[in-house]
Amino acid sequence: MNTIRAIIVDDEDLARQIVREYLREEEDIEIVAECTNGFDAVKAAATHKPDLLFLDVQMPKLDGFEVLELIDREIAVVFVTAYDQYAMKAFDAAAVDYLLKPFDQERFRTALQRARRRLGEGPRMPSASELRNAAQAPGQHSQRIVIKDGTRVHILPVNQLEYAEAQDDYVALHSGGKTFLKQQTISSLEAALDPSRFVRVHRSFLVSLERVAKIEPYTKDTRIAVLTNGAQIPVSRAGYMRLKELMDKS
Amino acid sequence: MSLYLAIWIFFGCLFVLVLSVSAHLEWQTSVAVTVPIVIILALGCLGPWYSSRALPLRSTPLWKVVGTHLLVGMCTSAIALAPARLLGVLAQKTFPDLSARLHPAFPTLAGMSLLIYLLSVALHYALQAVESSRQAELLSREAELKALKAQVNPHFLFNSLNSISALTSVDPRKARDMCVRLSEFLRNSLRLGERTSIPFSEELALTKTYLDVEQIRFGERLRVTQDFDTGCAYCEVPPLLVQPLIENSIKHGIATLVEGGEIAMSGRRLRDSVRIVIENPFDPDAPEMRRNGFGLASVRNRLHARYGGAARIDIQVDGNRYRVMLTIPCDEESETAG
Repeated sequence: MNTIRAIIVDDEDLARQIVREYLREEEDIEIVAECTNGFDAVKAAATHKPDLLFLDVQMPKLDGFEVLELIDREIAVVFVTAYDQYAMKAFDAAAVDYLLKPFDQERFRTALQRARRRLGEGPRMPSASELRNAAQAPGQHSQRIVIKDGTRVHILPVNQLEYAEAQDDYVALHSGGKTFLKQQTISSLEAALDPSRFVRVHRSFLVSLERVAKIEPYTKDTRIAVLTNGAQIPVSRAGYMRLKELMDKS
Repeated sequence: MSLYLAIWIFFGCLFVLVLSVSAHLEWQTSVAVTVPIVIILALGCLGPWYSSRALPLRSTPLWKVVGTHLLVGMCTSAIALAPARLLGVLAQKTFPDLSARLHPAFPTLAGMSLLIYLLSVALHYALQAVESSRQAELLSREAELKALKAQVNPHFLFNSLNSISALTSVDPRKARDMCVRLSEFLRNSLRLGERTSIPFSEELALTKTYLDVEQIRFGERLRVTQDFDTGCAYCEVPPLLVQPLIENSIKHGIATLVEGGEIAMSGRRLRDSVRIVIENPFDPDAPEMRRNGFGLASVRNRLHARYGGAARIDIQVDGNRYRVMLTIPCDEESETAG
């Protein structure tokens, strides 16, 4: 049997301790790292290439869902938390399991069984970012965007995002003269943001409504949105309808 | 509405009577003079509904309250009497010497109008006081209910139980210790939560038990300093005032920091109040928070319901430092009561 490489992420010593203790009896699982915050977890996932993640939701720096978003590898995730409000969503998105603190060893073994089965199924697991998107509560929108740049992590509050542009598998996020590249589709970014503040004006462009200074005609069917920072964004016909509808509302 | 109408018909009759007696007018003439006065007064006396709210007795200087209402009252009575003067001038043909005969009655009429206006001001203040006391009572009952629900935060309980669960195998003695502390905290918060006020020393003791539990959970990440004047101990305060604030300091402060930090609590005994300051570091870039500030809102509501404007709660955020400052009146029981 292959060894499963696992990382434990929790800011409380005792909470990590109990997972470690339960894992001691599992011969096929090796703990490759323990992390006390979100940043370290993202870093450890990149260097240790784990198969399995025990992940707390509420932690310093980045919460569990933000950590998932920044891990682009396919990893089986078991949430370990005292909060039950994300449980349903995480399950819908096929997180391996959701352990509510405190839990006993039998319950923990069930989670491990599920993880083994999932890992045995091969690579078709929902990616971490898919999990993250599905785990978003309806009507709740991201207040910030996390971006990984090599080993560094940037946190971009959404009110600083001017516009986003699709570039193949990435989105380029523009803010204050800087550009951040993030591996994400523009549609999933759009889905995570507040639709009353961000408009998809074009197949490849998403703009912040409050940054739009004016809209000028371009060709017969298309227009150009000029942002407060001077950037010119193409606006498609459908995009213009959406923009207009939103501006009329506000 | 019909009551209001009845009151004004009464006042109208009074005016007619006064006019007939002091100005020796025929009753028809009296009525003709009175009707516009009473209609204008009836409208003008609705004004204090706004002005009494704009100038609450508790927070407005007395001269301002008296001055404003007196001035507005005089204006109202002057406006109310204007039609009577006008009638005297315009209708000279119908009532030849009306103007002259009315003249001696004007001071009486003006005085009566002013008095009626001031009466309405007083009535509005009285109604307002009744309303606000009913609201305060409602608010305090609601806040108490919420406080009872809030006092045992389920996540605090689950996380503590998880710590105990982890300790049972590595340090059974400490696990037992934590069970005892946790029970102590639960028992005391239930017991104290039922009372309307407790000596401050008991609130501090409860907070200490709470911190003992959290200390085991957070270990070295949680550091606490305390500096309280001895005079604070005897002040009677509502229960669960400091503990929820400390809970916030941990949840939104210490727990957001990898290295943790120090919570600094202090209390100063002023002449007839206590001033409590709780300060903690936090991570301004921390992930979004859940159930934000519920403990704070509960404390604020309860303070407001109980002390009105006499208690204050202020928040200062200074970079990565968060500071709550509480000032509450100190109702000191006799020294032996503490």
